[in-house]
This record gives sequence, C-alpha cells and structure tokens, in this order.
Amino acid sequence: MEEATQAFVFFWLAGLFVVLGAMLAFFSKVHWQRRLGGALFGSGLLSLMLTPWTLPFSPSSAFGHLLGSLVGPVVLLGVGLYQIAFSGHVPVGRLSRTDRTVGIVMVVVGVLWLEAMHWWVLTPTYPSEVNKYWYIFWPTMLLAVLTCSSAGYAVVGLVGEERQQEQRLMLVAAALAIVLMVLGSLFDGPNVEHQRFATELLFAAADVFGAMVGAAVAILLFAVVLAVYESQQPAPKRLDPPTQEQLNQASQIIAQHVGGEGEDE
Amino acid sequence: MKMSDASLLRSLARLGAFAVLPMTAVLILVWWLSVDSTEGTLVRFSNALLTSFTFVSFILLMTLFVYGDARKRPVAPLLGMVLSVLLGAGMTVYFLSQGELLMEDNGSVRAQALSNLIRLGTTLIGVGLGVMVVAGTLFASLMNTPPRRIQFEEE
Repeated sequence: MEEATQAFVFFWLAGLFVVLGAMLAFFSKVHWQRRLGGALFGSGLLSLMLTPWTLPFSPSSAFGHLLGSLVGPVVLLGVGLYQIAFSGHVPVGRLSRTDRTVGIVMVVVGVLWLEAMHWWVLTPTYPSEVNKYWYIFWPTMLLAVLTCSSAGYAVVGLVGEERQQEQRLMLVAAALAIVLMVLGSLFDGPNVEHQRFATELLFAAADVFGAMVGAAVAILLFAVVLAVYESQQPAPKRLDPPTQEQLNQASQIIAQHVGGEGEDE
Repeated sequence: MKMSDASLLRSLARLGAFAVLPMTAVLILVWWLSVDSTEGTLVRFSNALLTSFTFVSFILLMTLFVYGDARKRPVAPLLGMVLSVLLGAGMTVYFLSQGELLMEDNGSVRAQALSNLIRLGTTLIGVGLGVMVVAGTLFASLMNTPPRRIQFEEE
C-alpha cells in the first residue's frame, strides 16, 4: 500500500470514524445506530492510537502518540471522579467508602501523572524530541481548567445556596492552574524550556479564541440558514371559527362543570 | 427593560467576566515575564478560526439530517450548509496559498490544512479534558454534600 493511502486509511478515515461515531452515539435515537456509533468511535480511536506503529513515516502519527500517552491519566481521572461522585449521597447504586478512597487515590495519581509529564521525565517524546502536540495540549488544558473553574465559581454563586465548599474547590482549581502556568513560564522542566512553554501558552490562547470565534460564526450562519428556510414555509392551515351549534354545546358543558353544585352534594 | 432582564444581563456579564478576566490576566503576566516575541500568534488565530468554521459547519451539516427527518427532508438548508462548508474550505485554501500569510512550517497548502485540523483536534481534547476535570470535581463535591434537612420552627 502506498504511504498516502496508508495515511488516509489509518489516520484520516479513522478520524472520520471518531467524529461520525461520536455523533451517532450521542444523537441517534435508534439503539443499533448508537451501538454502531460506539463501535465506530472505538475502532477509529484505536486506529489513531496505533499510528506510531502503522504510520511511522507520517508526522501526523505524533497525534496518535499523544492520544496513547494520555490514556493512562484520563482513565484514572475519569474513573476516579466517577467513584468519588457515586459514593456520595445517591439514592440508588451507591458505591462503598472503599470505592471512594480508591477514587481519591486514582484522581491524585492521575493529576500527578499529568504533572510528571511536564515537570519530570514522563514528557511524551516522539520520535526523539518532545511530541509537538504536547506543547499544544498541556497549555490548552491549563487554560481550560482556569476558565471553567472561575466560570464555575461564578455559576455556583449565582444558582446555588450555601455552596461555599464548591466555590472554595473552584477557587483551588483555578489557583492551581494559575500557579502551574506561571511556574511553567518561569522555570524549565527536564524536557520543556520555560520560554517555549510561555510562547506555547499564548499560541494555545490564540488557538482557543480562534476556534471559538470560528465555531460561533458557523453556528450563526447555521441559524440564519434555518431561519431563512423556515420563514419561506407557508403558514400552517388555520381552523375555521366555531359554529353557533359548537358554541352552544361548549357553553352547556362549561355550565355543567362550573355551576357550583357537585354531584355528591 | 424589565427588572428581571437587567438582573439576567448583570448575571451574564458577571459570568463572562469571571470566565475571561483571570485567563487574560495570566496571559498578560506570562507575556510580560517570559515571552520575547508574539510573532505567529495572529497566524495561529486565523488558522484556528478558518479550520474551526469549516469543521463546525461540517458537523452542523450532519445534524441537518436529523432536522430533515422532522421537516420532510428539505434540500434548501442542506444546500446552505454545503455552501458554508465549501466557503470555509475555499477561504482556507485561498489564504494558505497567499505566500507567507497563513503558512507556518509546512511545505504545502494541503500539509498546512491537515496540520490545522490535527491542531484543532488537540485543542478540543485539551479543552474537553479541562472541562471534564472541573465538572467532575464540582459534581463529586455536590454529590458528597450531606442532604439538607428542612428546619421547622419549634412551636
């Protein structure tokens, strides 16, 4: 197989499977379509993660390498947060205290793992230097944590009552993200220089703002397209006004029910 | 304007300020501390904008099939979104082919467009994971708060 064909099959087709699979799994109301969507999503993701082996010649395989590098901490964080949440005050299917402890340990290990990828030797390296997509992912994630936690602080304050604990938690998350960004911009890690990190942080912000503006314009255009289409539709058929006979019948029924004398009185 | 509308606007403004201001402050601080040059930031912004526009238009085009089931499969909005996707792709190719305007380290327009798409994927993963961590933490904390009891006044 030619290199271009290999790249198309193992990377771009797999990426399309991930997008279409996720959409089918989330939006379809038919059971078998949701299952098919899940299967497409899983197989596409697996194919992307295998690209360091299936497409070692392609620069795009660095993305697959990043996905593979993130599986460990993501699973730890996801399962850990699930265990903590569902060992709380849930009416059905409550997990045990041990599950909660295991969940806390998993979250702590997940966070430390991610930190070790910047501040220790676990930085994703592919093929012989730091994975270029790691430089995009890590600052973007820190920015997202900061924005979401500070917005979460405001939301909890607006809609919740006596939720000081949650607000404190959001403040801690935001402060942690700020500290990590500032420290990363001041001190070198074993594999990442502080100036490179600071520059990539600005690039990540540009990426996020650009993506948000582009998505907003697309959604606006979508709304305009639908609004124009709907405005061109003929108005629905109006019913004829009621006849005198129908009005008489209605007034009789109303009089029977609002007369003030019940059958049991 | 009604009182409730003004209150809603204030709440939205407060939410927007909390979402944007801390991030802006940190970015200014980092830029002041460690960044020598901001060259390339505008190129990254423009590439992300065009790629995101094309990608989101494509996703919305897909959702029109669900919409079409409810509205006797109309062709007009489908055509509109196809044009939108083509417009995004066309603009991307046009601006990338204008010399150094939007090109980065890639050798060809196609390589740059594909690189933009992968970068958008990485950005989405970063944002998604950040949202997951914060939402999961908030949800876990809410679920572990003891249920409140209604306090009745003693007679």
